[in-house]
Amino acid sequence: MNNALQSPWVACHDCDTLYPAPSLAPGTLARCRHCGAVLARNPKGGLSRPIALHLAALILLILANAFPFLALDLQGRQQGTTLSGASLALFDAGMEWLGLVVFLTTVLLPFVYTASTLYVLIGVRQKADLPGLTRLLSWLSHLRPWGMLDVFMLGVLVSFVKLNSLANVIVGPALYAYTGLILVSAVATTSIEPERLWTALSGTARRRRSS
Amino acid sequence: MNHPLRACELGMARCHTCGLLARMPQQGNALCPRCQSRLHLRRPNSVSTTWALWLAAAILYLPANLLPVMTVVYLGAGQPDTIMSGIIYLFLNGNWPLALIVFVASMVIPILKLLALAYLLVSVQRESAWRKRQRTLLYRITELIGRWSMVDVFVVALLAALVQLDAFATISPGLGASAFAAVVILTMLAAMSFDPRLIWDHTFARGNNT
Repeated sequence: MNNALQSPWVACHDCDTLYPAPSLAPGTLARCRHCGAVLARNPKGGLSRPIALHLAALILLILANAFPFLALDLQGRQQGTTLSGASLALFDAGMEWLGLVVFLTTVLLPFVYTASTLYVLIGVRQKADLPGLTRLLSWLSHLRPWGMLDVFMLGVLVSFVKLNSLANVIVGPALYAYTGLILVSAVATTSIEPERLWTALSGTARRRRSS
Repeated sequence: MNHPLRACELGMARCHTCGLLARMPQQGNALCPRCQSRLHLRRPNSVSTTWALWLAAAILYLPANLLPVMTVVYLGAGQPDTIMSGIIYLFLNGNWPLALIVFVASMVIPILKLLALAYLLVSVQRESAWRKRQRTLLYRITELIGRWSMVDVFVVALLAALVQLDAFATISPGLGASAFAAVVILTMLAAMSFDPRLIWDHTFARGNNT
């Protein structure tokens, strides 16, 4: 095979059935006939839309972390927290391992994932040979399930209700940024398809090698 | 032979990182030509790794529910709360929608995950041909909902961060929360190490056709 970087076939990742590689119109997807798994997707909007969405997500992420998130007002005493405050509280209580887990899933990994995706998208779109593109793209699909900001949102909701009956809960500016982030992230995730990025990346590499 | 062609029958493996279909060499390790990840026909040692992680999660499920997840001290008097007592507290306070959410996320989902994974593992080890499509769907659901059980851990962390009002009220996190986070992470890893293609493997080898 003189072109080992592309294949005329795809295999279903859930049941291993072979199919000829589908060519999809934008906004459509192909499903496996046997198990219903998604074989391939072609999200609408090419590369510009995901770049805009991920950039917006990154900005919202920075805002959500920079400002106070929630505060409790009980008989004049106020106690607030930022997004990182949740993991810091665990560290302070001597539960370092759990603090690290919460920090990774709510602060670090979402940031690394969004920034890395943006980097890869820009590299693919500009057809530039940026360092580490392949390695980052490899890590992206592994990183994604470990960013748990959407689960954290539910945690915020539960905490809010639990505390509201006891004291005055004050919403900080970061919470609005955070809500926006959840919405933008949801759309941003569906706007990219990793396998198409791989195809584009290997196409660039091939052109570079033959020139 | 009237069953669909599968990649493993042609000696071809799908790269688990980039999705490229490549031919496996007769011997030695193969690297994906596109992303240089290791190529495997199936996730290596899928069944044994999943069982090991499953067992660790099942064992930790006991301290996660028996040990307190947080201690609430209000005006000098305090008591530790387990996940269950937290749910009961919400329910008694008239907050039954929230009690239901926490109950589903923290008690129902982890148990269902463990049961589902155990069922899938046993069905694969017994080379069952029963309802392959539904079992694959069960796997997909298990993989998707697992992370939502972390909600309780986040609630404990948030409450501990917010309720630090000295002599008036303080909330401190408990070891139960650590155990619980470990259960969630272990079940997530267990679901990731299970290869759903195993469900379809032996069926076709026997010439069955569903």
